[in-house]
Amino acid sequence: MRNRFAMCLLVAVLVFTLTLTACGPAAAPPAEKKPATPAPAPEVKIGAMYPLSGPQAPTGLDLKNGVELATEIINGEYPDLNMPLAKTKGLPNLNNAKLTVVYGDHQAAPEKGMSEAERLYTEAKVVGIVGCYNSGVTATASQVAERLGKPFLNPDSVSPSLITRGFKWFFRLTPDDKMFTENMFKFLEDLATKKNQKVSTIAILNENTLWGQDFAAVAEQMAKAKGYKVVEHIVYPANTSEVTAEVQKLKRANPDVILQASYVSDSILFIKTFKEQGYTPKGLLANAAGAVDVAFVKTLGKDAEYVITRSVWSEDLLKVRPVANTVNEMYKKKYGTNMNENSARSFTGTIVLADAINRAKSTDPEAIKKAILETTMSGDQLVLAWDGVKFDPSNGQNTLGRAIMVQIQGGKYVTVWPFEVKAADLIWPLPAWTKR
Amino acid sequence: MRYAGWLKKNLFAVVLVAAALVDPLILRTSFLRHLSIMVLIWATLGTAWNMLVGYAGQVSLGHGLFFGIGAYTTTLLFVKIGVPPSIGILAGPILAATVAYLMGLPLFRLSGFYFSIATIASAEIGWILFTNWDWAGGARGLFVPLKGDSLVHLQFTTKVPYYYLALLLFGLSVYAAHRLASSRAGYYFRAIRDDPEAAVSLGINIRKFKAVAYTFSAAITALAGGFYANYVLYIDPDSMMAAKFSTQICLLTVLGGVGDMWGPLIGASVLIPLSETTRVFLSGRGRAVDLLVYGSLIVAFAVFQPKGLIGLTRDVLTRARRAMAPATAAIATVEKPPSAPQDTGQGGMI
Amino acid sequence: MDFAGGAQVLLGGLLTGCIYALVAVGLSLIWGLMGLINFAHGDFLMIGMYTSFWAWALFRIDPLFGLPLTGALLFVWGVLVYYGIVRRVLTAQRIAQVFATFGLGLALRSAAQFLWTPNYRMVDNPILGGVIRVGSVSLGKAHLVGGLTAYLLALGLYYMIVKTDIGRALSATSADKETAELMGIDTDKVFALGWGLGSACVGVGGALLASYYYIYPDVGLMFSTIASTIVALGGFGSIPGALVAALIVGVVQTSVSFFLAPALKLAMVYLFYLIVVVCRPQGLMGRW
Repeated sequence: MRNRFAMCLLVAVLVFTLTLTACGPAAAPPAEKKPATPAPAPEVKIGAMYPLSGPQAPTGLDLKNGVELATEIINGEYPDLNMPLAKTKGLPNLNNAKLTVVYGDHQAAPEKGMSEAERLYTEAKVVGIVGCYNSGVTATASQVAERLGKPFLNPDSVSPSLITRGFKWFFRLTPDDKMFTENMFKFLEDLATKKNQKVSTIAILNENTLWGQDFAAVAEQMAKAKGYKVVEHIVYPANTSEVTAEVQKLKRANPDVILQASYVSDSILFIKTFKEQGYTPKGLLANAAGAVDVAFVKTLGKDAEYVITRSVWSEDLLKVRPVANTVNEMYKKKYGTNMNENSARSFTGTIVLADAINRAKSTDPEAIKKAILETTMSGDQLVLAWDGVKFDPSNGQNTLGRAIMVQIQGGKYVTVWPFEVKAADLIWPLPAWTKR
Repeated sequence: MRYAGWLKKNLFAVVLVAAALVDPLILRTSFLRHLSIMVLIWATLGTAWNMLVGYAGQVSLGHGLFFGIGAYTTTLLFVKIGVPPSIGILAGPILAATVAYLMGLPLFRLSGFYFSIATIASAEIGWILFTNWDWAGGARGLFVPLKGDSLVHLQFTTKVPYYYLALLLFGLSVYAAHRLASSRAGYYFRAIRDDPEAAVSLGINIRKFKAVAYTFSAAITALAGGFYANYVLYIDPDSMMAAKFSTQICLLTVLGGVGDMWGPLIGASVLIPLSETTRVFLSGRGRAVDLLVYGSLIVAFAVFQPKGLIGLTRDVLTRARRAMAPATAAIATVEKPPSAPQDTGQGGMI
Repeated sequence: MDFAGGAQVLLGGLLTGCIYALVAVGLSLIWGLMGLINFAHGDFLMIGMYTSFWAWALFRIDPLFGLPLTGALLFVWGVLVYYGIVRRVLTAQRIAQVFATFGLGLALRSAAQFLWTPNYRMVDNPILGGVIRVGSVSLGKAHLVGGLTAYLLALGLYYMIVKTDIGRALSATSADKETAELMGIDTDKVFALGWGLGSACVGVGGALLASYYYIYPDVGLMFSTIASTIVALGGFGSIPGALVAALIVGVVQTSVSFFLAPALKLAMVYLFYLIVVVCRPQGLMGRW
């Protein structure tokens, strides 16, 4: 009895599978590709996907706040703000339609990212998505976008492989780790030529998640190509309980500069262990993340001084860019802290996407895509230290982004490079622990 | 009429199969279909895991290792050598079965918790190895090249074919579990589970049969992994070999009812949509309310209804049947024999 | 051969192992007592850390002075968990027991995130700040004091179990529950005590860690896995086994980082467990 039942089940399933696989695409319901309505809508929905729960939630919250503030500015009227969509209410070309954001939490898991993207595009019917910070999640979510033919704007994932996939619907604002690392090496070159501090030995220190490994691969390759000697390359497990041996190895190698990629808890642990074991790196150059997190300076206090990190946002930017200052004040009022490179990037992403939808004068995906490719924003309209926004049509990458180097001095992040726009003098090499 | 009797007896199963077959016609959005596919994948994983626990009485908390082996084997064969996934997907189960057999041999000497911890240890080692293995993508993972609609590559541009493939996969796992249970090996498993000492005294080579269960379990898990890789089109160690993954397999099986054929399906059908719903509606604020609900539910079930949802349903049905026909029920109650493993005292089952 | 480096690594490993020991000993007690693995053990550690943190943040009580407070609170917590949850699953299937504590752990982590946000917390300027240097080896005071205190407490617990009446009641119940009951031991109260003590140990471990480690809701996860491995490595029901295994694990961790590759430090710990357990299925010093 049971055997027969099992056989029937198997046969039935097999028959169905083969039939439907044979006419797969034809069986797709027309509802998936809804014909666009160019008629003005009372509201336009976009999606925002970030890690809103789980261990990366603090960063996720920063990112969400950036989007929220941007939405507020777009929907409100701010005549003194020189930024697209700030002066008018909503999206003027779409009858002042209100911009609504539907948030998705991907919990830093690529499969959940896929699920959320599906939900946002097909159930919540958003016309575009901003996200996802974690490169692995951005990878799967943008795949969904590519398959469905919908715009996907990525303000903040730095994996170089994201723009090598030949996607037509994927656009990225932030420079990736390849460009950031180029910036870092340019800084080292300038250090040698303009400040007479020659760096010849490098140590690479990275945590072993996707981001750390991406960075390390690029850094190592570039270091060797430019003739530096990589005296130590330490890969350690993220969120480890101790770094005794790692620090010992660095001490032994004594490089001229350490290039570090760590998230906040590890960054803090390393500085503390450096101090404990009496080791002062001659130079410490961090690839943001941990080093730009609010908790870094707050927890380490004076011990955080002189750490240099690449950044796309800094506090002295506020002095030279009125737009950045105004927005930062609003952010501070609403959320109680300054912006940082995360909230600044998600903020910008929202503005860029909304602006493109506005210029497209419709919610049709093709029109929006065309509008995104036509985006030209100048640096002074941005809250970031970039030269502007312009997408390369061959791969969707913004070509006008760049990084600056900031150093922690007096508890603040001050721009120290490029030397032409510096706000303070660079202090190099780092003073020993005992001399502080 | 023979068929009427057969239908009545297996009504539940028939309705289930019918519902499963027409699912994509009812759920028409891409998201809901995605959910259905994930439910099926997890149900498959639960069924495979069930083989080990329900039949061999050993709790593996590291099954993610085999899932990862399946996913990585298929993808690496495709990306590095160009073997199409429809063929490559078969390599995963073979490799996983081998690993499981080799692991089982020494590890089945261990009792209960020692074994479970050994499975955790092995899965962690697997995760660490893959995270640091550059050739296999390391933590950056592997992208599966997009091939549009291609049966040979097990890739499609819509969800419907994926759904039926997943259904086929699940059907296969249930069939395999069923065959294993009703075969000679199955009788030995039940003997081992119910009274290991008696089984040994009867000359049953416990370790060999446990290894058989483990091998089957691993193979099916790997097959699911291969399918998953060609569905999500991106794999990395975190998604599949981290502890969270392995524990979720156990969780949904326990929720549904361990040792029962339909337990994993019930558990997956409840747990996956539940976790999606709580995430969609509750998690936006970054306060983990969804996980709080999730965790509390698990505790509640463990404390109040350890037999899982299946046990709950059976209890309710039995009570209903008794209430409706007290006389006949006493005589003709065709109760399914309790299939949940019995507690055989300290150090017995686990 | 870098002796200074090697010595540093060895000492660092031992101190890490000492903290692991305190965490593991609590787990071993519970496991040995009722054959139940507490999968939420690492999360009890997390509660201990947060308790110390908030005592410091709100009342300026340094984690070191807050130690007795944290220990007492966690003792009560352990007893409550026993009466509330564990007692009800003792007669259920093993799997139900596993998932009762697993679900509890998940709920605790989420509650922590809900109440206190996932932001990392740290105690600034603890009393145990600063470094002690012996030759070319440096040891953080917090590490040193934390490690030594942890180990002494763990030894103290063992001593208590072997020498005192209450301790012997614990031993007896763990060896043979039925006979213990026949001898007049209230096993229910003994179990509750076991849970209380085990939780207090791990809570104190958390308080010691709070002086120098970062605190966040998921911090217990890693310690959970390592502690379970240590207890199994040491052997079911053997507290001395846990004490020894913990030190070994700490040293293996740092040595592998130094001589091989930091990325593999935990992999080698797990591999070590597998090798030992395959050769000796009852662990290093286990009963069976």
